[in-house]
Amino acid sequence: MQVLQVNNLSKSYGKTQVLKDVSFSLEAGQVLAIIGSSGGGKSTLLRCLNFLETPNAGEILVNGKPLTGGTEEQIRQNRLHFGLVFQNFNLFPQYTVLQNITLAPALLKQGSAEQIQQKAQNLLSQVGLSHKADAYPYQLSGGQQQRVAIARALALNPEILCFDEPTSALDPELTGEVLRVIQNLKNEKNTMIVVTHEMEFAKQVADVVMYMADGLIEEMGTPEQVFEHPQSEKTRAFIQGAQKF
Amino acid sequence: MKKAFALVLAGMMMCACLAGCGEKFDSDKAYLQQQGVMKVGITEYEPMDYKNENGQWTGFDAEFARLVGEKLGVEVEFMILSDWSQKFYELETKNIDAIWNGMSITEEVRLNTSCTDPYVINAQVLVMKKDQIGNYPDTDSLKDLRFAVESGSAGEAALMELGITDYIALQDQAGAMMEVAAGTSDACVIDLTMANAMTGEGSNYADLASGIALSSEEYGIGFRKDSDLTEEVNKIIDELLADGSLAKLAEKYSLTLAE
Amino acid sequence: MFMQISWELLIGFWENLKIFILTLAFALPLGLVVCAGSMSGFSPLRWVTRGFVWVIRGTPLMLQLLIIFYGPGLLFRLPSLGRFSAVILAFAINYACYFSEIYRGGIESIPKGQFEAGQVLGMTKQQIFFKVELLQLVKRILAPMSNEIITLVKDTSLAHIIGVYEVIYVGQAFTKKGLIWPLFYTGAFYLVFSGLLTLLFGYFEKKLSYFRG
Repeated sequence: MQVLQVNNLSKSYGKTQVLKDVSFSLEAGQVLAIIGSSGGGKSTLLRCLNFLETPNAGEILVNGKPLTGGTEEQIRQNRLHFGLVFQNFNLFPQYTVLQNITLAPALLKQGSAEQIQQKAQNLLSQVGLSHKADAYPYQLSGGQQQRVAIARALALNPEILCFDEPTSALDPELTGEVLRVIQNLKNEKNTMIVVTHEMEFAKQVADVVMYMADGLIEEMGTPEQVFEHPQSEKTRAFIQGAQKF
Repeated sequence: MKKAFALVLAGMMMCACLAGCGEKFDSDKAYLQQQGVMKVGITEYEPMDYKNENGQWTGFDAEFARLVGEKLGVEVEFMILSDWSQKFYELETKNIDAIWNGMSITEEVRLNTSCTDPYVINAQVLVMKKDQIGNYPDTDSLKDLRFAVESGSAGEAALMELGITDYIALQDQAGAMMEVAAGTSDACVIDLTMANAMTGEGSNYADLASGIALSSEEYGIGFRKDSDLTEEVNKIIDELLADGSLAKLAEKYSLTLAE
Repeated sequence: MFMQISWELLIGFWENLKIFILTLAFALPLGLVVCAGSMSGFSPLRWVTRGFVWVIRGTPLMLQLLIIFYGPGLLFRLPSLGRFSAVILAFAINYACYFSEIYRGGIESIPKGQFEAGQVLGMTKQQIFFKVELLQLVKRILAPMSNEIITLVKDTSLAHIIGVYEVIYVGQAFTKKGLIWPLFYTGAFYLVFSGLLTLLFGYFEKKLSYFRG
């Protein structure tokens, strides 16, 4: 079943066009990995999907329904279809780990206080951090903070969970624990879009890989197609460059 | 606090004694003529002693002192008294030879100096908006006015004398006049000399005018106690009155000479 | 006599306290309004507000006080506001401008990611401000605000130049009677009060030290 469809999405900052007529779709339970060099439009695409940026043209459909409307309230509702995990976590420093997770569900009145609390505890054990429920963000390592951020995003049951370079701000030895959590989420059939520089991870976890360059989808296909048999010259050059490291 | 103050005072007195005991002159006049200079203690204020655009001391008292110096055959040197309350002490220790600065002749002055005859009279006068001043012909009519005065001035003393306590005390007389000009006070009480210089046609405060006098005072020159200069200068003043030079100065600076 | 003079100075200092409290009561919220103006997306409003803040911060409070008190009468022949009201007006405007710049610095120093994290979690702008940013803002501006507020304690003495019966005025009145020490003694009142404020701000700072950021 198709959960997400993006049609002709375009975005410019002044004279610079960062997204040029981008269209693609995603099946439920699939993991899409978006790769490409910096400035290729990956992050902008993700930010458009989460309505942090307003596209100049194009439409976004979730479960076949277009997400339209420009009022603040409509945009807020549209956002709830998606979750976003940031590169640098953006946890709320004044709240404990548990409060970070329960804050939004409580404000959105998604159930009783006990239910929200219980669910947050479950999510914490899912990311392996039950023992840190009462800690403050500054007391956690980067990897732990990112796992809390994932639990926080999951608490709202988004239909599509997005990750914007989730391991780029981490020390190399801490990336594993975050990637394992994403792997587990895939096993539980979560639909996810991951912007990443981790080629090995993309190869192993993604169902679909998208290579973006200069605001265009240069190539899209299974990991095998993109990594082993790239069609375009640009893709080939990028894959070879990335594998040198 | 008091002890420390006494100690400092004692120290200063010792120095004073050492300085004073160095040389004895029977006659102050002879002392001045031997020094060739008369040191005149002043504070800076118009129209008595102030600096002109060239940085020279001018004003009624400054010019007056130079005329007297000429007659005595000595140069005149102006010394600013940084603390007016120390003026008698400065005189006694010969840091200055005369206090000559629009000084009102008070009981305190008579006790601490040998003072000349009065040469100028001054008064504390009421200053108000020109169109209202006619309504206040005597001191009894003043009770309900909101007054501004310079804190600690003769104007403030004059108000207290009248039993008026509802007034604002400001840093200086100019501030008191600004209150009246802005309408934040109804009236102020300031020196006649200042009122003459700063109100009326062609002045900064053309719409203000001076009215009745609340108190009056006379200006004299203070010399050291038992100084022979007092007599000498009294004679010179008479001469300057006779030849009209003081009258000329008085007119130049809008002052009123004593009878 | 010491008790008598202390009492008279205390009555004077009560005037300083009134100025202090009323200035804060008006300037703290007014600062938010000025801050909103100087961060407005509507550029004419933004530049007018910033120009105003520049003038107020760039000229002495004493001058502003004289202009507000004497200006209407001298320039337009208007009746005066009254001494105390003029002091409160001048102080409130002056301090609102200083506070607005502190607020602005604080708001701009909160990472944009905090706002975006709130957005993607479906919060409204109001919820993000009150539930996410406000406490971080308070923590960030606490030190500069306490500085400014302690400066305000001492600035209240400026009121005496337009004849408001505050503690320095009372102290100076004693020097005219030949008593010098009460003027210096007024310093003790300022010291005690700013000492209390320092303790209070230290307490707040400690209260907010449980998190970082």
